[in-house]
Amino acid sequence: MKNRLKVLRAERDWSQADLADRLEVSRQTINAIETGKYDPSLPLAFKIGRLFGQPIETIFDDETA
Amino acid sequence: MSTGDDIMTATPKLSRTNRTRLILMAAGLVVGGVLGAVIARVEHLDALVQSLAWSDHLAAFLAFCFLSLALIMTIASFSPKLAARMVDPEATGPAKPAQASFLRIQAAVLALAGVMMAVPVIAFVAYRGQTPVVMGSVAMMGIVAALLAQTAGNLALWRQSDELLRKSMAETGSICFWILQGLLFLWAAAEKLSLVPALSSWDMMTLLMAFYLVVSSLVAMRRGLA
Repeated sequence: MKNRLKVLRAERDWSQADLADRLEVSRQTINAIETGKYDPSLPLAFKIGRLFGQPIETIFDDETA
Repeated sequence: MSTGDDIMTATPKLSRTNRTRLILMAAGLVVGGVLGAVIARVEHLDALVQSLAWSDHLAAFLAFCFLSLALIMTIASFSPKLAARMVDPEATGPAKPAQASFLRIQAAVLALAGVMMAVPVIAFVAYRGQTPVVMGSVAMMGIVAALLAQTAGNLALWRQSDELLRKSMAETGSICFWILQGLLFLWAAAEKLSLVPALSSWDMMTLLMAFYLVVSSLVAMRRGLA
């Protein structure tokens, strides 16, 4: 699943560790999501959406849809 | 400003992760070489080692790996900088107390796994396969206590892990179950048909542990954790 996490993070000048702290996950989790190695759970996706003030579908894009 | 020569002679820099991997590989080669040399020089030990079953060799090797890793992790956990790198090779700052604590629990779980795998082999060697009932019972009670402590440690790790780590653990368990149950069925059927030799429960346990170790490493690499 594609996502705009890296772009949104860069816009705020946050490092992966900064974002990980805000979402209460490890830096590796952020890295895995950004590189497409892991799709976050629905609760984490909602948390990401709330943090960036955007709906989930504008951050995550299901390529097969 | 870079010149054409700079580009031609520049050597690619190793990432911190790859440097760590190389250092660990080199350390493993040195320790393995020294141990191998010691075993080869002590004639009595060599004969004893040669008489062990393949699963005892594998169990001893796994126990050594677990205990070595546990020692490294314990030492690293007391240095905020080292602990941070052990938890996350790309970390820039020192480890948080929770990360150091996580590392120590991981080390304890690994150490207990190593002890549990080593004790039956050590008892087998010490008593030449004829462990007295009293000693065997004492060892077994210790193993049960260690297993309970390890289970508590594993539960604590699960509770402190984030969703990626939990997903990796669950994925490793699923892969191991589905592949090994299939292989076990095939072996059992072949054994019933007198096509292959019988496996002992110790053989199967050591294979399971080795397989689990390989699968967990592959899953961690696939998810970008290693």
